Amino acid sequence: MTKARCGRILDEDIYIEEGDTTTLYFVNQLRAYQVVLAALKALDQDVCHDGCSLPSTVGKVIKRLGKLKNDLEASNVAAEKKESLLSKIDSFLADANRLPQDTSQTCRKSAGECIIGSGCFAAGALGLIDISEPKAPKT
Amino acid sequence: MNTEIFENQIRGLNIVRGALQGAAGEICKSCIGLEGAKTKLGKMAKKLGMDLQAAEICCEKTKAGIQARIDSISKTAEELEVAEECECQKTAGNCKLGEVCFVNAAIDLMKLVK
Repeated sequence: MTKARCGRILDEDIYIEEGDTTTLYFVNQLRAYQVVLAALKALDQDVCHDGCSLPSTVGKVIKRLGKLKNDLEASNVAAEKKESLLSKIDSFLADANRLPQDTSQTCRKSAGECIIGSGCFAAGALGLIDISEPKAPKT
Repeated sequence: MNTEIFENQIRGLNIVRGALQGAAGEICKSCIGLEGAKTKLGKMAKKLGMDLQAAEICCEKTKAGIQARIDSISKTAEELEVAEECECQKTAGNCKLGEVCFVNAAIDLMKLVK
């Protein structure tokens, strides 16, 4: 089987076999998390740092990464590739865990500090994960 | 224009910059999508700076502070690492995301600013 490059995650070029949509799903999810986490780190420098939406989003990212890890472990992805991708999930989980998670803080809109309108940067950033394809393989 | 508009735009540009930095660590580094987004981010920051200069903001210190933040975004936009020779990574067969594009989605985060 021919191997094709399909991403670069944490400074490592990722190659998969043509037509391997299961592995591609996990790779593309991790590609998305790489962008989302960078956006959330930028938000942590914003007023969002003291709000509740960023911590709530971080909580969702951690939960979803945990699920992705479980799904990957249970998948039929080749062992060596699986180990490599699992270590990347662990690295992203460590990154996410360094971001704020205290959801008891007041929303910055309610506090009058966030006046961008009805939108929310944290929720918008999280949406980047959902745009990637292929969708989750059926188990 | 009041300062709130500038504050909101700066906040938006900052998160877009962050997301693009994430994409720059990806195969997007060699993609015309990121190259275009880098230019777009720089242009948005430049236009915001021009709007600021034309705006009636009575406190010069406030105006200078906002300008400094815009300049910082412009600088980091310029520093975004993009390969010298770029081509769409979908066309090159490397990006298998489907029809969507992380970089375009990152730029669209600016639409959240009303």
